[in-house]
Amino acid sequence: MGVTCVCQVPVAEGKSVQQTVDMLHKKLEQLGAIKQGNFWVDCETYHATGNATGQPSKLLYVMHNSETPLSSMALFEGGPGLTADANFDVLMVKLKSHFQNAKGHKVESRGTRYRYCDFLVKIGTVAMSSSARGISVEVEYCACVIPGDCWNLMKEFMQSFLGSSTPELPAVFTNKAEGLYTPVDCMDTMSQYLELFGKVRKQQVLPGSGVR
Amino acid sequence: MAKSCFLQLIAQVQEVSLDGLETYVPLLSMSQNLAKLAQRIDFNQSSDSDEDGPERESREPWGKPEPEEDEGTVKFQPSLWPWDSVRNNLRSALTEMCVLHDVLSVLKDKKYMALDPVSQDPALTKTPQVFQLISKKKSLATAAQLLLKGAEKLTKSLAENQEQRRQRDFNSELLRLRSQWKLRKVGHKILGDLSYRSAGSLFPHHGTFEVIKNTDIDLDKKVPDDYCPLNVQIPSDLEGSAYIKVSIQKQSADIGDLGTVSLFRRQPKAKPGSQMWHLKLEAAQNVLLCKEIFAQLSREAVQIKSQIPHIVVKNQIISQPFPGLQLSISLCHSTGEKKSQRASPDKSKPDDHLYVLEHNLHQLIREVHTMPHPASSPFGHKRLRLAGPMAYDKAEISSLQQSEGLLEKIIKQAKHIFLRSRTARTIDSLASRIEDPQIQAHWSNINSVYESSVKVLITSQGYEQICKSIQLQLNIGVEQIRVVHRDGRVITLSHQEQELQDFLLSQMSQHQVHAVQQLAKVMGWHVLSFSNHVGLGPIESIGNASAITVASPSGEHAISVRNGPESGCKVLVQFPRNQAKELPKSDAVQDARWTHLRGPYREVHCGRMEGRNFVYKMELLMAALTPCP
Repeated sequence: MGVTCVCQVPVAEGKSVQQTVDMLHKKLEQLGAIKQGNFWVDCETYHATGNATGQPSKLLYVMHNSETPLSSMALFEGGPGLTADANFDVLMVKLKSHFQNAKGHKVESRGTRYRYCDFLVKIGTVAMSSSARGISVEVEYCACVIPGDCWNLMKEFMQSFLGSSTPELPAVFTNKAEGLYTPVDCMDTMSQYLELFGKVRKQQVLPGSGVR
Repeated sequence: MAKSCFLQLIAQVQEVSLDGLETYVPLLSMSQNLAKLAQRIDFNQSSDSDEDGPERESREPWGKPEPEEDEGTVKFQPSLWPWDSVRNNLRSALTEMCVLHDVLSVLKDKKYMALDPVSQDPALTKTPQVFQLISKKKSLATAAQLLLKGAEKLTKSLAENQEQRRQRDFNSELLRLRSQWKLRKVGHKILGDLSYRSAGSLFPHHGTFEVIKNTDIDLDKKVPDDYCPLNVQIPSDLEGSAYIKVSIQKQSADIGDLGTVSLFRRQPKAKPGSQMWHLKLEAAQNVLLCKEIFAQLSREAVQIKSQIPHIVVKNQIISQPFPGLQLSISLCHSTGEKKSQRASPDKSKPDDHLYVLEHNLHQLIREVHTMPHPASSPFGHKRLRLAGPMAYDKAEISSLQQSEGLLEKIIKQAKHIFLRSRTARTIDSLASRIEDPQIQAHWSNINSVYESSVKVLITSQGYEQICKSIQLQLNIGVEQIRVVHRDGRVITLSHQEQELQDFLLSQMSQHQVHAVQQLAKVMGWHVLSFSNHVGLGPIESIGNASAITVASPSGEHAISVRNGPESGCKVLVQFPRNQAKELPKSDAVQDARWTHLRGPYREVHCGRMEGRNFVYKMELLMAALTPCP
């Protein structure tokens, strides 16, 4: 459990998603990272039904992460989040009358996991209904839990293989009431992924991205 | 006093007239009251009321006219003295007594009067003797019959009591049995369960024993002391006693034999109140436990893969934790009837491993026994329930889940114990062999099953405060020893005994040189050069030689010491040139003052110097080379 930063890497000019991903893999391997299996993060959308006023119903997102295989996270966009047991999905089925699953909106990111000393880098292909929409890169520094302490180090590390696509300090950390020097939570990671998935959903379908 | 309470104090109403006026009966005056009460005294009524009838009757005719007379006296002459009737009664009684007295005194003389019994009619009282006999016999017979009946009742009740006592004994024994073991009634048989199933064991043995009543007892003979009305029948494969024998044997010369320990062997001492069934059941349960442990171990021995595969022969598991070391775990089950001569004597040396190993084995088995849990809770560790809400990652989850089997844990423990004892032996042998730098080992009291630690100090006797730069902390693990030096170096040694020995020897030689350095500080000598690992001189096979050069305060003398683990110590003293025997004459250096510089070296024979240890010798040397001012 460490400080994570999730960012999106734009697809290189004239290349497909897969090729960009392979480029990133090669850069990491040159750096000296070791491949350590796969990872996946997925997100399902639920509409809250039974809304009296004409306001758009709140969307509930239920996310899973392979790093925490026994947990499910449920969060509202910009709102409170909940970490629960894996049985939470079964609970959502039981709450069918209040929350309806928007089946077409499931987004997931799958890819490989690299370890470089204390850093964990996960490069995944963001796919929505089996069409690749983008690339997500998650960098986790396992040795620290305070974002304020290690952000500079992480940025430097990311610059070494991401180059110009290095992100700024994620808004999740700056928006916290207590500031940058509070310990991170798995919710922060999930909020970042949610943001990324939201962006990807709004994007148009990339040309040339086929069924994986 | 008593009579005063009979006084009438409240006037009684005689008549109430129509106008409400009450007419009272005139109260009796004091004297009238007294007279009335005096009348009540009845002399005829004596103190003992159960008198014979005729006497009472005979007195009646006298008594009867009297009260009438008295009443009449009261009625007609109320002014008479109240005690008058009393006096009359007494006087008449006196008269009669006097008459009686006279009669008796006349009778006593026997001259004028005599007493004669009234003769009975003999015809009436005479009965034939035969009748008497028959009547006596009949009465005796009835009496005897009564007595016999009573006796019969008594014997019957006594017999019943004894029978009841035996019954009650069986029931009370059954109650005691039930308070300690699980029993259930099946049909008309009472069965019990001595397996560990209620603790969560999954061993497929049924572990059922049967409780039978012991009825082969003869009430006529004396009941034996250890008689028990209850007997248990245990399954035939659990009879006798069993124990697990663990032995570590050497297969090469340098590894010591750690010997054999027997686990679960101890027979619990029979408490005075415990019955035979208790001992039998406990022994059977012990057998079951040993069997379960051995079954689990052999299952794991077959399943797990290790570098050197484990061998499972009929009731023995053989594995090699270290090359050259053999660990064998065997289940020894003896049925108890025949005692084999080759059984080793029961005395077991007080080995501290014995209890620890047995306790460990109990704990491991407990971990293997999964407690029955409600259907809603997941399998595995309790803390895994929090894995979801607390978002545990894979590392945390795997640390919670047990992945090691029983055999692996036992082997790890055995390895650690072996490594620890060998380390101790190495240190002790070095300490006893080498006297000059002394080696001290302080073992930590708190260890774990996989890790122990010891602090090793190398000092010189008498100079402990000065020369304490070699302090090593040894952490003995399962397969390796990690040494942390005082100067911060961390060295990992393997399980080989020789490595540790070599390392300690090299540290000892370094200590000597360090000691000289510290000594120089104390004595005021200056350190000119110091090296832990010199590159000159003969090559050492163990470690490196260290060397130091110190100069006296005046600068006239210098001592050079080179110490190596194999080559020993070499001490050279540098003298000023004017003290050399042959003074090389040279044309270049002519000034006399140059003769004060240090020049030639001379070797010191340390072995012939006086002194308990090397540092002492050095101190003497330094003192000798420092002239008094």
